[in-house]
Parts: sequence; structure tokens; C-alpha cells
Amino acid sequence: MKLFALRVVVLLAAAYSPVEALWPQPQNIQTGSETLRLAPGFQITVVGHGVPGDLIAAVGRTKQYLFQDRLERLVVGRGAVDAPTFSKAKVLSRLTLSLAKGASFASITSEAQKAPEDRDEAYHLVVPADGSGATITANSTLGLFRGLTTFSQLWYAHDNTVYTISAPVTIQDAPAYPYRGLMLDTARNYYPVADIKRTLDAMSWVKINQFHWHIVDSQSFPLQVPGFTDLAEKGAYSSSQVYTQSDVRDIVSYAGARGIDVMVEIDTPGHTAIIAEAHPDFVACPQATPWATYANEPPAGQLRFANATVTNYVANLFSAVAKLFPSTLFSTGGDELNTNCYDIDTPTQAALNATGRTLEQALDVFTQETHRALEAKGKTPVVWEEMVLVHNVTLSKETKVLVWISSDNVKAVAQKGYKLIHAASDYFYLDCGAGGWVGNFPSGNSWCDPFKTWQHSYSFDPVANLTAEESKLVLGGQHLLWAEQSGPQNVDPIVWPRAASSAELFWSGPGGNLSTALPRLHDVAYRFRQRGVNAISLQPEWCALRPGACDLTA
Amino acid sequence: MSLTSVLRLILCVLLAQYASALWPIPRSLSTGTSPLKLSPRFAVRLEISTPPADLLSAVSRTRARLQSDRFERLVLGRASADAKTVHAAPVLASLTVSLTAGSPIRTVAEETTQDIDARSESYVLIVTDHPPTATLSANLTLGLLRGLTTFEQLWYSNSQGTKYLLSAPLFVEDAPAFPYRGFSLDTSRNFYPVADILRTLDAMSWVKLSVLYWHVIDSQSFPLEVEAFPELSAKGAYSAAEVYTRNDIQHIIQHANERGIDVVMELDSPGHTTAISAAHPEHIACPAKSPWSKYANEPPAGQLRIASPSTLAFARTLFSSVAAALPGTMMSSGGDEVNLPCWTEDQQTMSDLARRNITISDALNEFVQTIQGVIKEYGKTPFIKSDMVLTHNAPVVNDTVVVVWQTSQDAASVADRGLRLIHQPSNYFYLDCGAGEWLGNDILGNSWCDPFKTWQRAYSFDPYANLTADQHDLVLGGQMPLWSEQSSPENLDPIVWPRLAAGAEVFWTGARLPDGSPRLGQNTTSSTHALARLNELRYRLVDRGVNAIALQPKWCVLRPGECDLDS
Repeated sequence: MKLFALRVVVLLAAAYSPVEALWPQPQNIQTGSETLRLAPGFQITVVGHGVPGDLIAAVGRTKQYLFQDRLERLVVGRGAVDAPTFSKAKVLSRLTLSLAKGASFASITSEAQKAPEDRDEAYHLVVPADGSGATITANSTLGLFRGLTTFSQLWYAHDNTVYTISAPVTIQDAPAYPYRGLMLDTARNYYPVADIKRTLDAMSWVKINQFHWHIVDSQSFPLQVPGFTDLAEKGAYSSSQVYTQSDVRDIVSYAGARGIDVMVEIDTPGHTAIIAEAHPDFVACPQATPWATYANEPPAGQLRFANATVTNYVANLFSAVAKLFPSTLFSTGGDELNTNCYDIDTPTQAALNATGRTLEQALDVFTQETHRALEAKGKTPVVWEEMVLVHNVTLSKETKVLVWISSDNVKAVAQKGYKLIHAASDYFYLDCGAGGWVGNFPSGNSWCDPFKTWQHSYSFDPVANLTAEESKLVLGGQHLLWAEQSGPQNVDPIVWPRAASSAELFWSGPGGNLSTALPRLHDVAYRFRQRGVNAISLQPEWCALRPGACDLTA
Repeated sequence: MSLTSVLRLILCVLLAQYASALWPIPRSLSTGTSPLKLSPRFAVRLEISTPPADLLSAVSRTRARLQSDRFERLVLGRASADAKTVHAAPVLASLTVSLTAGSPIRTVAEETTQDIDARSESYVLIVTDHPPTATLSANLTLGLLRGLTTFEQLWYSNSQGTKYLLSAPLFVEDAPAFPYRGFSLDTSRNFYPVADILRTLDAMSWVKLSVLYWHVIDSQSFPLEVEAFPELSAKGAYSAAEVYTRNDIQHIIQHANERGIDVVMELDSPGHTTAISAAHPEHIACPAKSPWSKYANEPPAGQLRIASPSTLAFARTLFSSVAAALPGTMMSSGGDEVNLPCWTEDQQTMSDLARRNITISDALNEFVQTIQGVIKEYGKTPFIKSDMVLTHNAPVVNDTVVVVWQTSQDAASVADRGLRLIHQPSNYFYLDCGAGEWLGNDILGNSWCDPFKTWQRAYSFDPYANLTADQHDLVLGGQMPLWSEQSSPENLDPIVWPRLAAGAEVFWTGARLPDGSPRLGQNTTSSTHALARLNELRYRLVDRGVNAIALQPKWCVLRPGECDLDS
């Protein structure tokens, strides 16, 4: 073999080298090929005064992961193939975290809960090969936390040795987009707090920074709201299927400590049938049949937004919910409004007649008043795309728009000048492809067929068809799990590792290579399992151990 | 509407709700509308002189579950909706269990591993409310096990743990339409620990499935410890921890057999065998040869060198060694997806053929005959995959059972050859379909057997479709398989349950529902009929620790009929 050919082989092997196990892929990374071991008494220290408690806790978790992941490298022979290099390997005994000059400590939580545009997640990580101390520097504790997450992905274990074979490592990293989310619907089926926390942990491992909590819907109202407790008392599936105020505090702080902001969604004025359990007067067409005429799915029922009492009520409800969630973002929903429901609703028709408004004008009033209540609490409203593309309502220019119906609608939202979040059903819906769920419809398929593979999501272009100016409006994007056919029983396997594909897309930017991504994504799935998250198998283990061997054209 | 017709209507509605619990639905079932509750000291009285140990264990499990199940009826308000009724209900003190006079008394495990044609699972269960009595009788212990399973499904719990039903008196006369009601699990593409298999067997027994068809090895890994060739798993398993030891195998089979589940082990051959090359490269043609798509249906390529006498001898010993340790009366040699270029480009195979002056087709026939001969030597019925018969015309023995897998259309072709069959068509029963392509670097690739097979799709299967009446006897039953390219312990429960129950009911009840209506008739899959029962089964499975997926929002589950397409 000529030297040139040899170099090609080496390069190819390097493309699959273990440092490629990082997910999301850092913006800038240089690695070597030395083995470096972690000292048994490996220390992580934070330099400076006033180190916040959540950073200290994150350091503690990182140390646990380092020594408890016990992930053997995914290669034929697993960790044993690296063992011969252990004896000569240098030992790393310390990682030092420090803020850049001039920066001062604030909690990870407070940094994560800033408006997306104000978050600073950049970090600089250096792991020398000679055993001298590793360092992470950043402008914020949030950046230090992201660096810790990357650091914990560098290491494999075999027997009792924790090591990397890619030292030295130098990484300069920062996300391409400030909003990298995951949406969970806890209304169609309920998820206990423990499942949400486990999901938040997993999200943080791939640097997702936004939990979009679609907490209530027409089927159930599991959120306990101070002053509005009758909603959950009468609208939750059961008294044990409620998120109490302390549950919410717990989840919000758990998320914050992991660099995740929680954006709650109180979907209005549609998707609210369950409010009728406590306030029958507030809901038009509750459980009207045939449901298909009055709603996109059963049960029908929407807020009587033309009624001033209802508008007032919702504004107050928003204010009360806003107090539970420190995020700057608050989603008011606005999807799938059904006008038939109001056509048959006598009180709505009477209210429209009395005010001389059209339904659209009434919706405009409702939207403005409820959004004003949020803005008074310092929140930025977030809406589903119909509020911009279908309805003629007045929105603040600060409003963010979730594009869900189709990625084809991104351009239209951008043309209206709103900042937008990618949540397109044709790329990011985790629930698609499992068949229809309504009864008596044996041939029913999933409305958003087919299943969205990780490859499909990964191939998404966030700025497709956008001008340079419009591209600046893209805040980021997210995967979404609607829960008609999901629950705690399948949340791990239906979400992971697929949701990691958008986590990388919006951190590293588009255009990633599928062939080199797959071995890294295997690493994510295997590491998740070591940490107790039931990530699905993407391939037979035979393939996971042999990068490239199961490619279509291999 | 007259008063009587109103009453009749109410009765019908009540019947639909209260007796909706059973899955699979019994072949003959009549129910009343009276409540009955279990005594806190509820006992099972076995009127059998020398009850076999595994029947006693089954009774213990039933009693334990009647204690531990906390499943509340799926209705608005859950158990509290029934509180008044239950308070005043008569109390049932015991269930009397007996065998028909003169019946042989054998263990459940023995009955379960009888010849597939010789099994009897029938039972009669009678529950009365005035006075409160319950009796279960059957000809054989296996029937008693099925009856106990039905009995367990009759009861709801309230928050204090009191068990009650609302459908007394109740008369069940039941027996399966087909003896073979299976689940096929692939443990080679990805490995499943023993505990996951045992949990799956438990859940299978709750819906009266009768066979675990164990696709234990394949090209990707060889997790089966074989007495004659321990090196196969030592070198071909994913890791030392990912091996089914001979102890594990016995443990799994015993666990299954005691729960009325026979185990049919498949050693897929001569294709799907690359993992053998880790220990015995001399027996494998085209191992991991590239491009794999020319030499196999999925990577890695590699097949047994069927023309080689030493490979044939190896295969004989392999099958003998495995068969000798299996108590069942059925064993499969697989035989799907053999690839000709793998052999024609294999120098050794070509020289073996030339030296022996035979064709590859001759060699394949010889291989099939040899392996079927070994299986027969051990007193077992040989199973084979349908393409070996339909595509390769392999000369199989007369009592062969053909696993019809490529498409449901193939069943008629197999039957036309006079061969017995089980249904496992990919277009109805494959649990893995619809999750997208798993091959790398295939951005637009979809699942080859798209779309996802919903429970409704599986439930709509007609075991006698396209068969003549005199071919009906050739159908032993069927099974839903889980191929594991994209599955592993992490998603085993949610990908299998409750969908697998659809297949369980199809083959328990047959081509038509017990009332004679077609399986996909008016309203069959509505949430007042099959879906109501399936939702209930799903919640029971979750209550018992099996992570069965939600079929609908709970809002719908609690309101049968309100989330139908046309409601």
C-alpha cells in the first residue's frame, strides 16, 4: 500500500474515532490520539468567589457520570481493545472551571431562564494529553455547565479505568441557535414528575435548553393553579394525576439547574374543553357531536372568547400561571380553532351581536387582552402559527411563533417579521406513524405519517427558502411528543435518541453528515441507557460496533 | 319506544360495559348484571386428588394477583362509581377447581408440550351470585390454567383492594379456535436479558398465547450456548454477558411451559448464520462480504457452506445438540432469504459442488432434508419458512409446518401444496414495521414493511382467507413477530403490548367473533366493543408492571364510544 492510501485509511478511521462520540458536535474541536486516564481521586474545582449552588451540584453530577457511566467504547471487542494503552497513559487528576475575566457568578438557573437571545452558552474546554490540569472557561455558569456536559461525554470505561483515547482535546463551542427545545403534552395522557425529571436530565445531556410544556388540553387539566384550583380538581384525570404548585416549582428548578428553561403552554382558546368541568359557562360546544365537525379530535369544546367574562378569566388565569414559571416565554397556544363550534353556540352569537364584532374581531380582542396580562408580568407570548397565518389578530412584534403544520409555512411567518421556532410536523413530530387512535376506524393511519426518523429530522434546513434577513428570525427548534398514544410507558423509547437529532441540528447548525452522525448517535443511546434512560436501538448491536458497515451502500 | 325496549337497551349497554373485560373474548359467554365481590379470605379449592406442582403454582399466582391487582374499572369516577353497588354485593368465598371425572392428571407443562394437534385448552367457568359460587372445570390441567386466567380478568379493584365484578351470573364455555397462538422474538439483532423474556412470557400467558417462537440466533450475534459447540456463543455473542446459557434456556422453557406456553426454537439456516463464522469461519460463505446488499437482505452477509460435507456434519451436530435439550415437540430450521450470489462467488462452495457434481439447488435440498431429518429424530415437528417451500421448492417432509411470512397471499400457495402452516404475514403481524429505515446513510429510507401494523390491522386478519374449506385444517394458527433491528429491552414492552393481544384474540376466536359476526364488522373496533376490552387489558398490563402503550388519551378510555371516528 502506498503511503497516500495509508493516509486515507487513517483519516477514515479518524472520522469514526471516539471523540466523534460528542453530541451535539462542537463548533470547533481539535483532538489527538493519546490515551489519558482519569485519576481515581479526580477533582473538579471551580475558581472564584460566590460559586452558585446549582453549579456545585452540576459538578457533583458530572463526577458521578464520569465514574458511573461505565460505558465501554462501541467497537468490536469493546473497551478491552483500548486496555493495552492504559499502562503508558498519563493521568488527569483535575478539571478547573473558571469564568472569563470580568464575568461574575450567577446561577445556571438564572442564566438559563434569560430570554433565548440573551443566553450565553459558549465555553472553551482544554484537556491536555500530558496529565496537566484540564480547564473549562466561559462567560457564564451556563457556559461552564455546557462544557461539563461535553467533558463527561469524552470518557469511556473498561474495568475500573475511565479514559479517553483522543487526548489532547481542545474545544471552542457555542450553539448555532439559542432555542433548542423539546415539547411534551401532559394532557392527553399524564406523566408523573419522575418521568419529566428523567426526561429533563436526558435533555440536558444533549444541551437542549428549552422544555415546552404543553401542560393542559381538552382531555385533562393537570395543572394546579393558585386561585383556580377547581380546574385541576375537576379536570385532572384523577387527584394523583395533578402537577401541584410544589411539583411545578420542583420541575422548574430541576430544569433550571440543568440549563433548561420551562416554557409553559396554556393552549387557548381552542383545546380547552376540559375547563367546562369547572366552568361550563365558559366553554362553547362542550363534547358536541359529531366531534369531527367541531374539533380536530375528541372532545370538542373551546373557550367562549367573545364573552368579556371569559376573556377576563383567561387573562387572570394567565397571570396566575405566569407567576409559577420564571421563564420569559409563555405560550398561549392558538392552534386549530374551530369556527363551527361557535356557529352553533348561542351565547357566543349573542355576545357577537351585542358587541357588533365578527368572530375574528372578538378573537383579536381576546388575544390582545390576554397577551397584555402576560406582558404585564414581563412575559413574551409564544403562539402557534395559525395566530399569524390564519387569524387576523394583533400581536406584539416580540411574539414568537411556533411553526407546526408544515415546514412550508416557515417562509410566510418569517415574511411577517416574527421570530419563529421550528416545530414542523413533517420533521419533528415524535408521535407520527403509529396508526390512527380514534375508535371504529380500522384502516386509520397516523395523520402525520410516516414515522419521523432521526435521519429525517437531522436533514432539516432551518433557513430553507429564507433570505439572509429572514434567517435571523429563526430562534431554533424542537421535537414534540403529543401524547394521544404515549404515556410514561413509552416516553423514553419514543423520544430517545431521536430528539437528540434536533438538539444537534440547532446546536451545531444544519448540514451534518449522516454517516458520521450515526456512530455518535449510537454512543448517545448507549450512554443514555447507562444512565437509566431507555433509549431505543437504532440498529443491531453488530452495526453499532462497526461504524459504516450497515450503511445503505456498504 | 316501549318500556321493555328501553329496558332491553339499558341491559345491552350494561352488558357491553360490564362484561367487556375479557381478552381474548371467550367462545361462549353469557353474563348478567349483578354485582359480586371476593371475600378477603377468598380461597381456591382444588378438587383434584394429586394436583401437579405447576397447577398449584398457577393457583398461587392467581390468588396473589387477586390480592395485588389494583386495576380500577375504566369508567368516570373509576371504582368510586361502583361503591354503592359493591357495598351491598354478595360475597364469593371460593372458586372450586376440578378436572372432569376420569381425566388424566398431568402437569400443565406436559400438556403444553403435547403434540400441537393433541392439545386441549377448553374449560368451563361458572360464577353465580345467588348463592355466590364459582366453579372451574376442564378435561386437562392446561384448560384449568386458561380458566384461571379468565377468572382473574373478571375482577376490578376498589381503592381498598376489594375485588368485585358487575356481571354475575356468568357462564363461560371456552376453547381456542387454533392451538398455535404465538409470539416470535428475535434475540440476535439485539439481546434481551432473561428477565425481559420472563416478563414477556407472563404477559403472553395473560392473553392465553400458547407458543414462544424463539428466533434465537441470526447473522448478527449467536447468543445461544450450545453444548456441542460452546465456542459459538463464546465468540459469536455480543459479549459474555449477552449469552443464554443452557441453564437460562431451561429456566425460560420451564417458566413458559408452566404458563401454558410451548417454546419453538428457530435456528435459522442456511442463511442468517454469519455469526457462526466468529468461531467457525470454515463453515461460512461470503462472511460480511461487501456490498452486503448483493449478498444478503441486510448486513452482514454470510451463509452456511451447504455444499460442504463438513459443514453439513456441523449443522447436524448443532441441531442435534440443541434439539436434545428441548422438551417441546416443535423446532424450526428457518430457511428464509437465502442468497445465491453468496454461494456462487464462494470458491469453496463452487469447488465442493463441482467435486460432488451437484447443483446449488441439490445442495440446498440435501441441507433441508438433513436438518429436517435431525429434527424428526428428536421426535419434533419441523417448521420452515415459506420461501424455502414457495421459492426454492425444497423437498420438505409431509408434516412440516410452514411459517408464512412474506405476505398473507402466500398462505393459499402453501395450502395448495397440502402443507400445514402458521400465519406470520409481514403485511399484518410484523410489530417492527413503520419505524423508518435502520440502515445508515439512507436519509429518505422507510421501513421495508411500512406502514406500522396497528392493532386494528392485526385484528382484521382472516386465518381462512383464500383457503378452501378442506384446507382449513392445515392452519394451526399464527403469530406476531418482533424483529429486533430497532428493538431491545428498552422498548420491548411498548412495541409489543397491547398490539400482540390482537393476534392472541384472532387465533383464540378464529375467523369470526363468537357471536358469528365478522371480525371487522360494524363497530367491531369501536371503543364500545373490542377497543374497550383492549383498553382495559392495556391498563391491567400496566398495573402488573408491563409497559403497554396507551392506545388513546385517558379521556377516551374513560368514555367508551366518545372517541370513535363517527361519534
